[in-house]
Formats: sequence, structure tokens, C-alpha cells
Amino acid sequence: MTKEAIKYPFYLITHPFQGYWDLKYELKRRDHLIMAYVIIFSLIITNILSSQYAGFVVNIYNPEEMNSIMEIVYVIVPLLFWCVANWSLTTLMDGEGKFVEIFIATSYALAPLVIINFPWIWVSNFLTQQEAMFYFISQSFAVVWFVFLIFTGNMTVHQYTPSKTVATIILTIVAMAFLAFLSLLFFSLIQQIISFFSVIYQEIVFRM
Amino acid sequence: MTFTQMTRFSLRLCLITILLLSVGTRDVSAKDNQDTYNYSYWGEAVPAPPAYLPTLLINSEQLETEPLKTPNDLYVSDNRYVYIADSGNNRIVILDDAFQFADTIEGFIYNQKEETFLNPQGVFVTKDNHIYIADTGNQRVVHLDEARDLVKIIEKPDSELLADNFSFRPQKVVADEAGRVFVMVEGVFDGFMEFSIDGYFTTFIGANRVQVDPLEYLWRRFATQEQRSQMVMFIPTEFTGLDIDDDGFLYATNADDSDDMIKKINARGDDILRREGFFNPVGDILYTTEKGPSRLSDITVAESGIYSVLDQRRGRIFTYNGDGHLMYVFGSTGNRLGQFQTPVAIEQYDDFFLVLDRDLGEITVFEVTNYGATLNHAVKQYDQGDEVGAFDSFKEVVKMNTNLEFAYTGIGKALLRQDDFKQAMYQFKQSLDQQNYSKAYLLYRNKTLREHFTTIMTVIILTIVIILGIKFYIKSKRKRVS
Repeated sequence: MTKEAIKYPFYLITHPFQGYWDLKYELKRRDHLIMAYVIIFSLIITNILSSQYAGFVVNIYNPEEMNSIMEIVYVIVPLLFWCVANWSLTTLMDGEGKFVEIFIATSYALAPLVIINFPWIWVSNFLTQQEAMFYFISQSFAVVWFVFLIFTGNMTVHQYTPSKTVATIILTIVAMAFLAFLSLLFFSLIQQIISFFSVIYQEIVFRM
Repeated sequence: MTFTQMTRFSLRLCLITILLLSVGTRDVSAKDNQDTYNYSYWGEAVPAPPAYLPTLLINSEQLETEPLKTPNDLYVSDNRYVYIADSGNNRIVILDDAFQFADTIEGFIYNQKEETFLNPQGVFVTKDNHIYIADTGNQRVVHLDEARDLVKIIEKPDSELLADNFSFRPQKVVADEAGRVFVMVEGVFDGFMEFSIDGYFTTFIGANRVQVDPLEYLWRRFATQEQRSQMVMFIPTEFTGLDIDDDGFLYATNADDSDDMIKKINARGDDILRREGFFNPVGDILYTTEKGPSRLSDITVAESGIYSVLDQRRGRIFTYNGDGHLMYVFGSTGNRLGQFQTPVAIEQYDDFFLVLDRDLGEITVFEVTNYGATLNHAVKQYDQGDEVGAFDSFKEVVKMNTNLEFAYTGIGKALLRQDDFKQAMYQFKQSLDQQNYSKAYLLYRNKTLREHFTTIMTVIILTIVIILGIKFYIKSKRKRVS
């Protein structure tokens, strides 16, 4: 891990076009993969902390429904769905990106969500309701930034035109819905098969 | 306090303690007898101590007269006499302040002729003991004075606002201090009918809004004129209950499944009910789809804006304070004391709560518990602006029911008044009241910043000076080197 690699996400989010280009063609992939994991991990930490420690004025949480495991799932699952759906689509649509590149690009795009939201967890404790507006504006700003990075990342990684990128993004979301449906179907079928075999087993055991 | 009052008080105290203890030890069977609960901020039903407990059942045995037959309404006058509209027997039954049979009103003299009632469904008594009777079967409202002599009869009005085949079947009636009469009429969708002091029809007031199902609306857009005429019309729902408070505001319930099931109607006919609670005042917020939401059938107003509604479907009585916070729930359907079959009317006064059961022809008398009395008192004090008194009362309430979230707001507001911001913030956090918390926090922050102003400024200035000093030092060093 070089010092450069640690600084890189900050460079990328402020210079997305150049940053993603360098990411794809110039730099060592292993370091960036590690950084991608670091960003995902910090996003999970940010989300968990903000649901517990963000100020009362901006965050009422039910301690009975607070679940850190679910916060992990809420980050990991959509991310993987996005990457898989995007990869499956772009391989068919002449995209140049490999799966690793898609994964790294998407993870780097999450960086603003950490960089902006993390300090706000603490600052929001010193807010009144009138000032809470700034909190919500920053949150929206982080999301807008994230979407913009996703867009640039996609465009650069796959070498698409802007309009094709937009189309791909929309199709990716549709594909994510399909994926979700298929996995639900898969799990429910597996459940039924398991229960089928377990019933057969029980029958055999009872008759022996 | 006289001796008898003392003994009665201590007896009541004993009774309440015993009941409270029994509630505490009945944990195992708590599931099948969840009569009293409240809704938390998160929409969960949490157990609460009972605010009222049934103490007496007034049925045919208590009454030294014919048993009540499908009574529909009751009203308690200012001198604590109970007036019951005994519809099936075509009369008004009066009980005295000890719930003993006092009198009946069978009819009145009109044009030197003995007139009787036919299926009277509503009764109302004014401050000076004038009686208004909704004489439903005879299509009129009868106004009698304190000596039961006829003052006026309100009959089907002659107005262009009414259709020719309009049948005037008054169900409930109230009158305000100025003598205006408001009548809830069966099959009228335009609101209550308002009559002047002389009995002339003036206007409709407080119509319910039309509920339109968007899907049906769309469907209707594509239908032809003929198809449309076959469809059900969009008409507002009727009112189901009516009461009037001391300031002349009408309180009404309707059977709409919407957020404004309960209305507080001012003289212009606008709904001015405050809905500041965690949920809109609509009775139960958790219910199964097969049983459906609460069907409110009567409303009664106590002082300080406290009002109670009766859920006919489940026999529950919901009481809200003026801001719309749910204070307590009690009652259920069943066969034991304190349970009803077909509750139709409720009335609240002093320490009592009366529930009239139509099919059984019985009145259940509930008496307030220590918890209910303290809570009522706290809400009243809070409403009157006596925040110090409310502070103590709410503290008492919270001791008896830690789950009553809005009580903490009461405590917090008093603390805020006493400049104890930190404690106030804590209390507002307990009641999940972001708005008041924010207010308290702002004051707290200002106070803290003001107190530590010198320290903060010193630190800031020192840091700037030190940073500048270091920079200057480095610069001069570099110069020297070069």
C-alpha cells in the first residue's frame, strides 16, 4: 500500500474523468482493490454509527429495530447486485470494463457518502431544527455526487458515450430487479426442495 | 373533608390499590384481558394502567320503572342528573345524581293537547335545565323548559336548501349558550342543521368531505353517462355523534375511514381539531383487516379540551387531550362488568364515565382510578398554563405509567420554564419530541457558549497567534538559510 493509493480516492472524487481514466489504464489494480474494500467498510461503519449517534434532531431511531448486521447487508447486497447486473449487461453491450474494474469504480463512487456523512454524524449533535436543513442538504449533495461518480465511472470504464451510459444505468437497475426476483425465486425453491427431501426422509424413518 | 368523605376516599384508595396490585400480578393472563393500553411513538400497543374502572351497572333491577328498551342517547345535566332517551318506550328517563330513578318525561302539552314522543333518539339539557329532545319518529325536535313546559317545537323546515321528499328524522341534538340548536339528522350529508333561537332553520354546518377512491374516479372517467348513473354516487358520509363544549364548539364523529373521523367544528363550519399527537385521533391504529378500523359512534367533551370517543365495533373508549394525544383507552365487548354488547352513547363528568348499551338497556358506570384522575388533572393544569402544577402531576403520572410519552413533554416544558435546559432536553428525548428538544437545545447551547465565551475566544486567538508565530519563525529561518 503506497501513500498514493490512500490519497487516490480523494483525487478521484474531485477529478472523476482523469481519475477513472488513470484507474483503468495506469495504476496498480491490487492497491485499488484494497482501497475499494476500505471504502465499503467505512461506509458500513458510517451507516451504523449514524443510525446510532446522529443527533436527536435529525435522527429518531427505534433501539429495538436497530440492527448492525442489516446495515452491512444494506450496503453489500445492493453493491454486489449492481456490479453483477452491470457486468452482465455491459459484456453484452460492448463494454470494455472487467468485473474488477466495475467493482472498484463503483466502490470509489461511494467515497463521498463516507467523506460527507461521517463528520456530520458528530456535527448533527450540535444542531437545532432550523439548522438541520444544512444536514439534509449535505446528505442530498453526497447522494448527487455519488450518482455523478457512478455515471462517470461507468462511462470511463466501459468507454461509452454519455447517452449510452444513461441507458446502461437504467437497464442495470431493471436487471437488478430481475436479479432480486430470481434470487427470491431461487431461495424459495431451494427451501421447498429441502423441505420435500426432509419430508421424504421423515416418511422413510417412520416406516422403517 | 368530613369523616364520611374521608372514609369514602380511603376506601376508594384501597380498592384502587387492590386493583392495581391485581393487574400487576395478573401478568400471565394479561394477553386475554388487554383492556387498557396506549400507543407508543412506534405505533405499538403498550400496556397502560386502567384510567377508569367499572363500579356499577344500572339495569332494570336498579330502575324502579319499566326496563329501558333500545335506549339511544344519554346526557348528564349540570346538576348531575342523567337523562336517557329511552327510544323503545317513547320516553325520557331521568336518574338523580346518585343514579337513583328520579322521573320520566312521557309527553308534553301542546295546544291544550297531550302530546307524546315516538322513538326519541336524542336528548340534550342546557345549563338552565331546558331539555331538547330529538323526537325522531314524529319528525321534530321538542324544546321543554325546566318545568317541562313546551317552549318550542322545531319541525321539518321550509327551505329551498332541502329536497321536497326530505324527511326530517333528528337523531342527536345540542344547543349552545346563545340558544342556537344543532341537529344531526338521519340521511343528511350536508352537515348538521343549525336552527336559530326561534327555531328557524338557518344553515347546514360542517359537512364531511367527499371521499373519492382514485381507482373508481379513473373508472368513472371512462364510463358513459348511462353507466355513470348506475354507479354509486360520491357522497360525503353522515355524522354519527355530536357534542358541544363550553365554548360552543361542536365535536362530531363520522364513520369515514379517514383521518378526520373526529372533528371540532367552529361557528364557520371549519374543522379546527388539533392533531399534534403521534397519530391522528382515529381510535385504534392497529387492527386486523377483517375487523376493520374503529367505528366511532359517539363523542363526549370534558373540560380543557379533553374528549372521548366510543368505538362501537370493539366497545372501546378512547380519550384524547386537546392536542390530540391519546390519554387512555378502556372498555371492551363481552359479558362481564365493564364490557358491552352494543354501546351507543357515552357521557363523561366529574369522576364518572357512563356508557349506554342499547340492546341490553343498561348503563355501565365507570369511576376514575388514581392514575386516571392524576392524568386528567395534569392535562387540565397544563391546559390552564399552570406548568409548575402540571410538572408535579405529570411526574406522578409517569411514576404510574413510564410508557406515557406525551407526559414527558409536559414535564420538559415546565423544566424549560425553570431554565433547566439540560433536564428539559432529557425529558423531550423521552417523549421523542424533536421540536421542543430543539428549542431546549438552542437555549442550552446559547447558555453554554455564553458561559464559556472567554475560554473559547482565548483558545481561538491563541491558536491563531501560535500558528502565525510558527509560520513566521519558519519563514525567517529559511531566509537565514538562503
